[in-house]
Amino acid sequence: MEEGLIENRATDVPFAGILADLLTANLTQRPEKREVFEKMQGAVAIELTDIETAVTLVFAEGKLRIEAGIAGSPEIFIRTTSDRVMDLNALKIVGGLPWYFDEAGRNVLGHLFAGRLKISGMFVHVALLTRLTKIMSVM
Amino acid sequence: MAKFNAMTQEWLDAWKEKIATSAEYKEIAKNWEGSVSIIVNPDPEKGIPEPIYVFTDYWHGDVRDFLICDKAKAESANFVMSGDFARWKQVAKKEVDSTKALMQGKLKLKGDLTYVVRNIKTVNKVIDLLCEIETIWPDEV
Repeated sequence: MEEGLIENRATDVPFAGILADLLTANLTQRPEKREVFEKMQGAVAIELTDIETAVTLVFAEGKLRIEAGIAGSPEIFIRTTSDRVMDLNALKIVGGLPWYFDEAGRNVLGHLFAGRLKISGMFVHVALLTRLTKIMSVM
Repeated sequence: MAKFNAMTQEWLDAWKEKIATSAEYKEIAKNWEGSVSIIVNPDPEKGIPEPIYVFTDYWHGDVRDFLICDKAKAESANFVMSGDFARWKQVAKKEVDSTKALMQGKLKLKGDLTYVVRNIKTVNKVIDLLCEIETIWPDEV
């Protein structure tokens, strides 16, 4: 994968490194995710409340910049815990959309309904969230 | 129940036996193939004067080599996890979730992270079975 596609400016935040590694592997192994990635515009903040860590993913011009903390005014704000954030990566993509009708999908819905996973902006920025789910999914 | 000294071959044999006899593991891990090494960083104050290298190997629900090994063997594994003794002890005592330790940078992983995430249930089950072993920790002797 070409250099500069994912720029991790939060090298002091281990979670940022994990996200960068995961996305790099996904985009390298799955060309269809690369197409989705290149269309993404906007910022997504992810806060892991149990370990008091947050990063912001800023997608622009076919590239991703990872910033430490909550940078600017992200369109989508995901708040959850470190042991649950990976559940988002387990979502399958069926017919181009996240699939909520299997065990992994029901897990995520359960977290949402129980308040263990909070996603601000999910109804306003549906396209960005769907694309994020697609590029993050390892299934 | 028998007790085993942590990070010894006997301890590994007991862990391997736990995994090998778990029907639940066999089902969950039917798609997993690959070896995982554990590197325990030295901590002389806790009774770990030198690094400890552990090699474990899994194949579609079966278990293969479980060995105390040298650095080269450990680094040859598909996945290499490293961290301080205190962290591994917390994981093995279920005081810390391994995913949380990874996110905090207290444990480090080398290898295809997407594969691990796809098979996180297998990873968690292996750790759960480790937690069932009665362990004697060197800093508690």
